[in-house]
Amino acid sequence: MRANFPVRLGPAEDALIAQLKAAGADAAAERITVAGLPTRRVESYHYTDLKTLLRAIPPLATAANEASAPALRIPGAFNLMIANGAIQNAATAPAGVIVGKAEGGVLTTRDDVLVHVNGALAREALTLTLENSVDPVIQVERRIEGEAAHVADALKIFVADDASATIVETFSGSDAAHVGNHATYLSAGKNAVVTHITIDLSARAVSHFATNEYQLADGAKLRTLVIHAGAGLARTHVFPRMAGAGAHADLTGLNLVADGQHADITMETLHAVPHTSSQPLFKSIVRGRAKAVVQGKLVVARDAQKTDAKFMHQGLMLSDEAEILSKPELEIYADDVVCGHGSTCGMIDEDSLFYLMSRGIPKPEAETMLVRGFIAELLDPIEDEELNEALQGIVDGWLMSGK
Amino acid sequence: MTTPVLEIRNLHARIDEREILKGVNLIIPPGEVHAIMGRNGSGKSTLSYVLAGKEDYEVTEGEILLNGENILEMEPDERAAAGLFLAFQYPIEIPGVATMTFLKAALNAQRKARGEEELKTPDFMRLVKEAGSQLNIDNDMLKRPLNVGFSGGEKKRAEIMQMALLKPSLAVLDETDSGLDIDALQVVSKGVNALRDGQRSMLVITHYQRLLNHIVPDVVHVFSDGKIVESGDKDLALKLEAKGYASYGGEAA
Repeated sequence: MRANFPVRLGPAEDALIAQLKAAGADAAAERITVAGLPTRRVESYHYTDLKTLLRAIPPLATAANEASAPALRIPGAFNLMIANGAIQNAATAPAGVIVGKAEGGVLTTRDDVLVHVNGALAREALTLTLENSVDPVIQVERRIEGEAAHVADALKIFVADDASATIVETFSGSDAAHVGNHATYLSAGKNAVVTHITIDLSARAVSHFATNEYQLADGAKLRTLVIHAGAGLARTHVFPRMAGAGAHADLTGLNLVADGQHADITMETLHAVPHTSSQPLFKSIVRGRAKAVVQGKLVVARDAQKTDAKFMHQGLMLSDEAEILSKPELEIYADDVVCGHGSTCGMIDEDSLFYLMSRGIPKPEAETMLVRGFIAELLDPIEDEELNEALQGIVDGWLMSGK
Repeated sequence: MTTPVLEIRNLHARIDEREILKGVNLIIPPGEVHAIMGRNGSGKSTLSYVLAGKEDYEVTEGEILLNGENILEMEPDERAAAGLFLAFQYPIEIPGVATMTFLKAALNAQRKARGEEELKTPDFMRLVKEAGSQLNIDNDMLKRPLNVGFSGGEKKRAEIMQMALLKPSLAVLDETDSGLDIDALQVVSKGVNALRDGQRSMLVITHYQRLLNHIVPDVVHVFSDGKIVESGDKDLALKLEAKGYASYGGEAA
């Protein structure tokens, strides 16, 4: 039985409701008025209680008239930028890349407050159509500049049949208490081979939310990598829909969190048709008093026989106060599938450390080697050398900042 | 008198509350190979870990001098830079760290600690190739993560290769023959013997006499209940093989 007490709304909710109403999104405003922001009593927000963690919503962003330095440079990449929600003019696109704009949100509606808010507030979406294989890495920089601002932006990517591409999104900007709510929808055509990487490099003061939705056609191969290495509060949704036979997704992610940070990767993969596979592999490294969360749900539709999927989350704790939370979920309606899940958590292995030190490697360096080794599984498959180096640089930077 | 490479004086060590080393005395002059034999559980491997500086063990009494310098206060990496090398009985598997990357880090860390310049990549590659070819270690093996999925023989060959590259003044070989078939034993022994140069000293810890046919020691010590109870020349090993350890008391493991 559930008592129907009115929910007490806080300043963050009041601000959000006002912004939604002003945007004409009455339904979204009404939902928050009735239910408030999700608390830990909402299963999908059990470990990331937004009502507690999100204390304020700053005003909606106005145009950016200053710019911080790029957070990540990938040599040779084709760059696009969305600053404070506005799509910036880009250089000439490589052959086969069509850059455009579309109105409104890009995500499929689902019962999630961040998805609702993005849909209501994102005014225009950057669209990328890749008609054939694209060699250079495509980098989409999403910035929030200036005074503390609330930004909802959107990106829609179509990758044609048989095409291959690597798309990297970086999130950064000024050091203010921004709330970013970012959406990406990526559709991979038949036999397309796509790598999609999203890296949060925002300032500590920022609350970073991103939803990555994927649609995979027959034989499409997708590799995703989420890296949380910036915001004080970060949550990224990974929502793939395996919609064509032979589709495969390597869904990976890395939470790098230190003192006071909270990072959450929440995946829900739908295996909608027979003969699809996914390999979700997430890692969390936590030092100081900080929290990393990974939730991984595999949903297998009734007729999606021969689904092969295994969720894995591995945690490495570099301090006694570190907290790593892992929630695997299986929701399987077919009867001929191979699905599983696993979670591990531990500190740096003392025997490994002793072995490296016994060869003359000092302790800090030996620890760094072991942490890099722990992450190698996620970075090694990124074949583009410059990109791989850039990613390794982010990890090294994070490790060095703790020494 | 020349300074011994290793001098252990009245060494006592324990793990948790249990005393394992109970007064070890040992002197190894430059260039000599000493063997320590003893039954399982006599404390042989503990001695090797205490020498290398493993944290789990607490030294309660005594001294360890490496080339005249007390190393007990040193971290394991400092002991390595000072010239100590331990070939592990069970080399540790380290996923995600390529063997080559590890070798370079180890070599350069030791050079740095000694105030020498870091090796340039081509020079490093040449050294690795030389050391590898003697031990049948090819490039493919070096690209693999350190010890991960290596066979028993591969692990031991990799240990000896590290020793060849790091050029220690004292090498401690802990049960290097365990898990090796005869062919692998010969390759490993050949690698070890190639490093006997009249200056480098070695402490070979073994359970069986078999290894000492291949690596012929100058002195053999019998280890029992945490200390050395008898020393002699290489014939002592043969005597032990024939008679067993029973005459030294204690219980069979």
